[in-house]
Amino acid sequence: MLGSILSQYARTLSVFAVLLLIVLIEALGVREAVYPGLLPFFTWMRESSWLGVIGTTYGSVYATVEAVHLLSMAVLGGTVLATDLRLLGVIFKDIPSETLVTGTHKCFRWALLVAILTGIFCAAGVGDKVYYMQVFWIKMLVLLLGSCYMLFIKQPFLTSRPHAEINPWMIRLLAITSMLTWFTVAATGRWIGFS
Amino acid sequence: MINELLLQFGQWMEAQQYSQMLVAGYYSYSWLEATHVLTLMVSIGSLFIIDFRMLGLVMPNVPASTIAARLHKPMIIGFVIMFITGALLVYAKPVETIQSLWFRMKMILLFLAFINAWVFNNRMKGAEGNWDNDPVAPKPLRTGAIASLVLWCGVVILGRYIPYDWVDCTNTTNTTILWAAGCVDQLNAL
Repeated sequence: MLGSILSQYARTLSVFAVLLLIVLIEALGVREAVYPGLLPFFTWMRESSWLGVIGTTYGSVYATVEAVHLLSMAVLGGTVLATDLRLLGVIFKDIPSETLVTGTHKCFRWALLVAILTGIFCAAGVGDKVYYMQVFWIKMLVLLLGSCYMLFIKQPFLTSRPHAEINPWMIRLLAITSMLTWFTVAATGRWIGFS
Repeated sequence: MINELLLQFGQWMEAQQYSQMLVAGYYSYSWLEATHVLTLMVSIGSLFIIDFRMLGLVMPNVPASTIAARLHKPMIIGFVIMFITGALLVYAKPVETIQSLWFRMKMILLFLAFINAWVFNNRMKGAEGNWDNDPVAPKPLRTGAIASLVLWCGVVILGRYIPYDWVDCTNTTNTTILWAAGCVDQLNAL
């Protein structure tokens, strides 16, 4: 009985569980306890890991990987905008939104993978600098939440049933949340460069 | 001759009050740069989706021309914002930018990318047959899409190189690089 009720709200409960976890991490002081212990890892990334050594030794390699990071974010943003603007009814009105949601997702996942891999390289090159940046940690948190949101909530929900059966406001909410999330990831990423 | 004229133009811009205001205000320059980079998601993001569709990598079940037509408007809006912010970034640091080898190479690639876009657009309009619904576009369009991807990747990479000073006028004595970057004073001093 309880199991069947819970299974109906699995996604909602998952979201609340993640939010509760974040609140608990903050309230119980886990973040303050873990944070100092991460500094040696970030220092090692920059000074000893081969990613950090390449990034700090060869400026042109670092700049090229930065550019690939930007390009992957551009592709990621393009797929997010195309899908979400369709869900909001702004563009692609003559194409079923289901087609956009499924058709761009593979491209999104590849772009996300490349963005994460190149992002790790970029962070390794300035490891002990980004460690002290609040904006870097905000980006990491939003990136984690955004990836989970896309892969475990938005995409499964939008591919589970025809969009005509979903409340239009729910679809709009999903699209706006997605656009705001990825805009925040991109904007905070840009701000790391200025900090 | 052209390098001297460009340098004079840059020095004239640098003497302008608004140019100095843009570069002196930390946040104004940062906001401009951030807008320029973030708009990549709209302009190049849309363009790459069109190119990927021509290569059959995204939405092969949707007519290629429909994707190109529907993404045209957001893409153009993105490019217009990029050009305005890009021009203002040059206006803020005119001499430094005009004498950047990477900036000059970026402008050449931008020019080639626009020629390619124009040719691509004409080829798409002129393409005969029922290719629009094919998962992969005909070879001439695929070639144009690959050229577009390569050129725009080059534009972004060279744009990313601009802030780095590896081949700045003061960091090299190679006469070819000094000439290509338009380092008039350094060339005269040699």
